[in-house]
Amino acid sequence: MLAGENTMTAGPAEIASSDFGRVLVQRERRFATLLLAPAFFALLLTTTFPLLFLVYTSVYRINLSMPFMNGFVGLENYKVLLADDRFWHSLIVSLVYTISTVLLQIVIGLALALFVMNMKRGQGWFRIIAILPVVLSPAVVGMIWRTFMLAPEFGIVDYLAITAGLGSKNWLGDPSLAMVSVIVIHTWQWTPFAFMVLLASLASLPEDIYEAARIDRASAWQRFRRITLPLLRPAIVMVIIMRTMVALTAFAAIFTVTGGGPGTATEILNLYAYRKSFTELSIGYGSALAVALLIVTIIISAILFAIRRSK
Amino acid sequence: MNARGQVIFKDIWKKHGEFVALKDVSFEINPGEFFALLGPSGSGKSTTLRILAGLDAPTSGRVLIDGNDVTGVDAADRDVAMVFQSYALYPHMTVAENISFPLEMAKVPKSEIAAAVFDAARKVKIEHLLDRRPGQLSGGQQQRCALARAIVRKARLFLLDEPLSNLDAKLRLETRVELKKLQRSLDVTAVYVTHDQEEAMTLADRMAVFMAGEIQQIGTPAEVFAKPNSIDIAGFIGNPPMNLVNAKYSDGDIILGGQRFKTAVQITGSRDVIAGIRPSAIRIGADGLKSRVDLVEHLGDTAVLDLDIGGALMRVRVGDENVPKEGDTVSISARPQDFHLFDPETRKRLV
Repeated sequence: MLAGENTMTAGPAEIASSDFGRVLVQRERRFATLLLAPAFFALLLTTTFPLLFLVYTSVYRINLSMPFMNGFVGLENYKVLLADDRFWHSLIVSLVYTISTVLLQIVIGLALALFVMNMKRGQGWFRIIAILPVVLSPAVVGMIWRTFMLAPEFGIVDYLAITAGLGSKNWLGDPSLAMVSVIVIHTWQWTPFAFMVLLASLASLPEDIYEAARIDRASAWQRFRRITLPLLRPAIVMVIIMRTMVALTAFAAIFTVTGGGPGTATEILNLYAYRKSFTELSIGYGSALAVALLIVTIIISAILFAIRRSK
Repeated sequence: MNARGQVIFKDIWKKHGEFVALKDVSFEINPGEFFALLGPSGSGKSTTLRILAGLDAPTSGRVLIDGNDVTGVDAADRDVAMVFQSYALYPHMTVAENISFPLEMAKVPKSEIAAAVFDAARKVKIEHLLDRRPGQLSGGQQQRCALARAIVRKARLFLLDEPLSNLDAKLRLETRVELKKLQRSLDVTAVYVTHDQEEAMTLADRMAVFMAGEIQQIGTPAEVFAKPNSIDIAGFIGNPPMNLVNAKYSDGDIILGGQRFKTAVQITGSRDVIAGIRPSAIRIGADGLKSRVDLVEHLGDTAVLDLDIGGALMRVRVGDENVPKEGDTVSISARPQDFHLFDPETRKRLV
């Protein structure tokens, strides 16, 4: 706009140069579009299309074991879903799983970060060791815990429980213990992520305000409550958002450890949708479950982002 | 009337591994005094303040406040207030919350806090900014906020670590005056760290001059200016700094550039000395040492001349009347009592 107005009063030389500039900008934009196109189409194909297709299948009855019944059913799947006890149960399991794992990650991650900040030496080693669980595949983590840690008699956790006099426990067979186990496993794997983010954030806090607080006679606890926590708030909220998204869509670790069992004790919404679709082969209803999970995720993240924006 | 705020530093050493930051520092600050710790950067003045605040511990030696040994006492329990060079405001709190923080920590009743905060803010003229956050304030306003946070608590000691160094030149002069008035009206002991000798000269009742981790001189600004007791202090205090030239001394006189000058020093015999003379103490007249004017710096009401004396530079401050021109030859002299003589070996003053 401005460039155009300038040419009104400018000499012919400037007109030519501003035209040349416009051509350059156009050419650059075209080149940028060209560079972006492959990634854009790949994303469209791998995320947007499957998502739309999921919504499409959710309004059909598609049952691979009874293909003769297939056809458009409108919102029938959703009506069934709302009356489905197992759906509500899995939704609650999902929420319990998400809230407890995220809370534990934040609390333990923050405690570790505070501890490491005060370490005189060995910080580097601690960070390297702490990051190891994150780089493992969740499926591998699940296998490690099922065999190495929780196996009756031979697993490390069970051995410790026996040694501590608690006796051998059926860590994955008892419904409430199984839930605790999968929560612990997820927390074990992902706390280092929260730890790393919070440590970086802690390290960036200016040291002089802590000295000012000491002069102002704030105790260590008051310094933590009144200064560290408020200043870490953006990082904490960010970690909560990122970890909630992942926890809501967790799958591999639980699938390998309990497969949702015993019974439906650890069956999060994700697993229920999977079981419906690929075990019971009721793909239409499975899709509706997946869409429900999508809606839940969107609502929760909208709330979290609103919290992040406020204040 | 105020008996609080007496400080005694006794034989303080501070070592960081091999590096010695403070060498046997001792001094006393009287209640109600404005005491400056002056020195170039790295001379140990900030370390001294941090030890006094309780933020750092000395390697050896003792710190006494009001007669109590506080060497091992944490900053939180020393009842001192401090203004940091960086201001160190709490970025997530408003100005009012920043100022009220020390009161809240001291468990002052809520009903009293609001009035105290407003009162402190009014004293430094930021009462209209109480709802802002530090990020929304200018440098000068942040500085005032830090001041208000320090004075709100009525601590027995008021520590200032180069509080004016981040302000622009004009604001620095204004704030300097206000700082002095504030300290007088609060009747509180203030310890002020600065590398700016002019600040120390104008603000301090007494000052300690630090060089390389040692106190070289303690005294009123006038004393230190009139009788610097080492070459380093002579070259540090005063603007432009004292002229220091090699000279021969014999029986009360010095020989400078082939010319004999009388001094007030009475030592028998002859020896090499370093003669110091303030730019403002040099007289331009009919007779004396002939020298050429190399450069003239006009400063408005005064001018500074760079003179060439047999290859050595000597600076002279003159009034704005009859300022010589560059290339002129002038004759300079000085009164005997204006010569400062120093030992070139020990760098100490010769009495």
